[in-house]
Amino acid sequence: MSDLAPSFEMMNIEEDNSTIGPDFMLVKRHIEDLATHYFKPLTRQWTNPPIRFFNLRSQWEKDTAMLSSITEIAMHPSYQQIIGMGPSVIPLILNEMTIKPGHWFWALKSITGEDPVQPKQRGRIREMVDAWIQWGKEQNYLA
Amino acid sequence: MDSVGKGAKLSGMTEFAIRKSFPNLTGQNFTITSPETPEYNCIAWAAGDMEAWWWPDANNQYYWPEEVPRNESLRAFKYLFENLGYQECETANYEEGYEKIGIYRDMQNKTTHASRQLRSGVWTSKLGSIEDIEHPFRGLDSSDYGSVFLIMKRPNQS
Repeated sequence: MSDLAPSFEMMNIEEDNSTIGPDFMLVKRHIEDLATHYFKPLTRQWTNPPIRFFNLRSQWEKDTAMLSSITEIAMHPSYQQIIGMGPSVIPLILNEMTIKPGHWFWALKSITGEDPVQPKQRGRIREMVDAWIQWGKEQNYLA
Repeated sequence: MDSVGKGAKLSGMTEFAIRKSFPNLTGQNFTITSPETPEYNCIAWAAGDMEAWWWPDANNQYYWPEEVPRNESLRAFKYLFENLGYQECETANYEEGYEKIGIYRDMQNKTTHASRQLRSGVWTSKLGSIEDIEHPFRGLDSSDYGSVFLIMKRPNQS
């Protein structure tokens, strides 16, 4: 994904840099919006799953950032479309998780039918991410 | 964590976005008090846990105490906090010797959020996957969160 669409991981902008001011964050958001609009046309999206994934992920993150209900988060239309893309998104999701932990567990379980997370790890996001990344390596989705 | 201070981290979801989502919040009546993190949510934060995301999801992937019914009804959330020693109470006013939580419900009667009262009398909330904030009792009333439907209290634990 990151080689096709601009992202702040690419620009090496540290999200948790406490010296970043609100003006910079505004500019950052504008650049993100520009990138999203550029990749928006369906013709570009449908021919390229990573671009489609990037757009859907951006919309999903924006709309669900302040929600606590996992049901609401996972039922968001963009998230459901990502699930609908099937196994092609597994490496994209796993790569995403290595960069930024997020609520991809529902999607991964739905697509793969697997759940490598142990009962005692439920809700512990870092441990859940690690379990899925390990699974991804074992299944050769990740190097 | 309560005292990290305003501007602990200016993430992609800044004060502007928070104010846009919650019309009752102004530049003067809320404070960001933590860095952004997806590692715990509002229910965990209200329950005093910063290490897990609590939700009774049907997929059984997130933390939910085994002794509490795993469904999203208000009754289940009420039982969750009763299990932690809380009892339903009438008002959100600060009472010496007690800590209070508020459970939110939206227009579709879905449980959306929980907040907790601090000893200063102000309320603290974890907003989804982003920051903790301190805010007035009605500060988070909104279309996304609805409003506080149930207030509960228990004797101070420490």
